[in-house]
Amino acid sequence: MKALFRNPRASIAAVLVTIATAGAAYAHHSTAMFDMMHTVKVDGTITQFDWTNPHTFIFMDVPGKGGVEHWGIEGMSPNYLSRNGWSRHTLKPGDKVEMQVHLLKDGRKGGFCSTVTLPDGKVMANLPQRPAAPGANPAAEK
Amino acid sequence: MRRGGFINVVVAGVLGTLATGAVWAADAPAAAPAAKAAAGGGYAALAKLPDWSGVWDLDFRGGGLARPAPPHLTPEYAKKYADYQARQKKGEEQQTETANCVPPGMPMIMAQPYPVEFLFTPGKITVAIEAYSQMRRIFTDGRKHPADPDPSYQGHSIGHWEGDTLVVDTVGFVDTTLLAPGVGHTEDMHMVERIHMISPERMVIDSTVTDPKVLMEPWTFAKAYQRHKDWDIKEYICDQNNRDSADDKGKAGLRIER
Repeated sequence: MKALFRNPRASIAAVLVTIATAGAAYAHHSTAMFDMMHTVKVDGTITQFDWTNPHTFIFMDVPGKGGVEHWGIEGMSPNYLSRNGWSRHTLKPGDKVEMQVHLLKDGRKGGFCSTVTLPDGKVMANLPQRPAAPGANPAAEK
Repeated sequence: MRRGGFINVVVAGVLGTLATGAVWAADAPAAAPAAKAAAGGGYAALAKLPDWSGVWDLDFRGGGLARPAPPHLTPEYAKKYADYQARQKKGEEQQTETANCVPPGMPMIMAQPYPVEFLFTPGKITVAIEAYSQMRRIFTDGRKHPADPDPSYQGHSIGHWEGDTLVVDTVGFVDTTLLAPGVGHTEDMHMVERIHMISPERMVIDSTVTDPKVLMEPWTFAKAYQRHKDWDIKEYICDQNNRDSADDKGKAGLRIER
């Protein structure tokens, strides 16, 4: 796992959740428990994909120093994802994927999915993707 | 005999009702709604209403509308908001009861990242809201608000048309929902929405909220919505697989085990 890039604009949801907007940019819960300023690349094998409301959930086995780690990663809802190119068949048990994840701040093996690179190389956005901030260098933090 | 016959009919009616599953639903006299629908022109009159078909998705970028000014809070509610911000700094108030699948109610139910759909029938407009599978009923048959409405999440809405603008007046809210993050309201909250299209694919809802104990002056804000004719409202059962939670201090939880 390496921090590949930082994207300050990923915190736009937090910015939108201000008193002036009279509404929340998220439907169901806040992003407070995730590090929304950074994503980390996590490579693993899908073990289960819950295509459910209020959120999809991705379970993945990830090789770690002490053996296989079992990760649980939250995603956007099936309602949102199905309008953005996903289906309940997009991820299948056994698929080897690369995922960009906003990690849980509490250190557990989990987070919120930003993008997934499928076995065929296709990149699926889970969160809306925004252009990197000016001057951001994805390689800089490797 | 006559009296016994009447009772038999009543018993048979009750049994019939039980058999169909609708147990104690008190039906209004059948003639009243029909008369009102006829007075409003019935189904034929619906053809004269603007075409709001398709579903409408909130534009979180603002849709080119002016950014709303923050609400001007009374000293009591300004202090409550300051206390809320202080609790946030302590790691509390990260999220609300919506993380526990309690719907947000009005007005925030109209500001979700999921579409809404307007259904026209004689004397009533029903708003199907995808988020939390909610529904609003806006009575356009000329009725008034109840004198003492039971507080509800969506409130009691009556509406009328001013040209192609639907003007909706809503009262009777529970006081457990939020006007905005960190800002509550009372059961006396009153909302007026002016709903209209500004182009074939864009809708704007201008809202005005009054609540004298909370707001020093009416709070106004506008929201823009994008039409999607090829979308349908989807099911959203929040309790299907909710792994998120908020505790009594608003601290966030997430269950990540399979």
